[in-house]
Amino acid sequence: MTATLLTSDLVLSVAEEVFAALVDGEEGKLTPWIGAPMPFAEPVVAWVDLAGDWSGRAVLLTERSTADDLARALLCLDPAEDLGDEDLVDAFGEIANVVGGNIKSIVATNGDLGLPHVATTIPDASGTIIEEVLLSWRGRLMIVRVLHLP
Amino acid sequence: MRALVIDDSRAMRRIVGGILRDFGYETIDAGNGQEALDALAEHGPVELACIDWNMPVMDGLTFVNRVREQPELRGVTLMMVTTESEHGHIVRALAAGAHEYVIKPFTADAIRDKLDLLGLLPMEETV
Repeated sequence: MTATLLTSDLVLSVAEEVFAALVDGEEGKLTPWIGAPMPFAEPVVAWVDLAGDWSGRAVLLTERSTADDLARALLCLDPAEDLGDEDLVDAFGEIANVVGGNIKSIVATNGDLGLPHVATTIPDASGTIIEEVLLSWRGRLMIVRVLHLP
Repeated sequence: MRALVIDDSRAMRRIVGGILRDFGYETIDAGNGQEALDALAEHGPVELACIDWNMPVMDGLTFVNRVREQPELRGVTLMMVTTESEHGHIVRALAAGAHEYVIKPFTADAIRDKLDLLGLLPMEETV
């Protein structure tokens, strides 16, 4: 197990790199969240499981409207353009996939990455949260959570 | 030049395909390894295949192995484009017959550099 290598700074660094390369095309749009988190009115969660000599889960959690805009950014759609549920699941799931894959490279070896899942409720998991980072994407709350699963 | 873009994410196919089209490629999409084999059977060999690792139905490593079993496809350059960044995964892919390995997230410049190394950039794009 190498989860002790994971720090909030590393999680932030991974997320910043993914968003700059895939979503925004530039750095600086994803920053640490300042202040207390607000509850999500309509949450959307995406996650991938990390399996190997260390098993865990990387989770992205945000408001539906934020996930919609993330998907539009990834798909290069106009902000006013209609976005189907299929597009949201595909794009938000892929962001979780890339974030999770890069976290896996820090915490797990000799393992595989699961396929991404997207839902409106946080998946049941009896795991332990080992890192949780609150982020601001263009001023909107996004949470990256890493769990160790038994 | 033609490229096969193999990824179960439509968003990622759009990103990779867009980069390749900017470099002058004609692209064909496939959502998994089996769809990619079917596309090769239908359209014939392509110059380049960009391959995700984790996909339903048939994963990228299995696709690489299947392509390498077919002599008529030996001219297809295989480039993994994946979040699997462990050294062991890279070694397995290269041992199976992949030529290059790009780790997500990537930039268009990173793809261009790999294609340049492989001699697969159209002349006007050569660095």
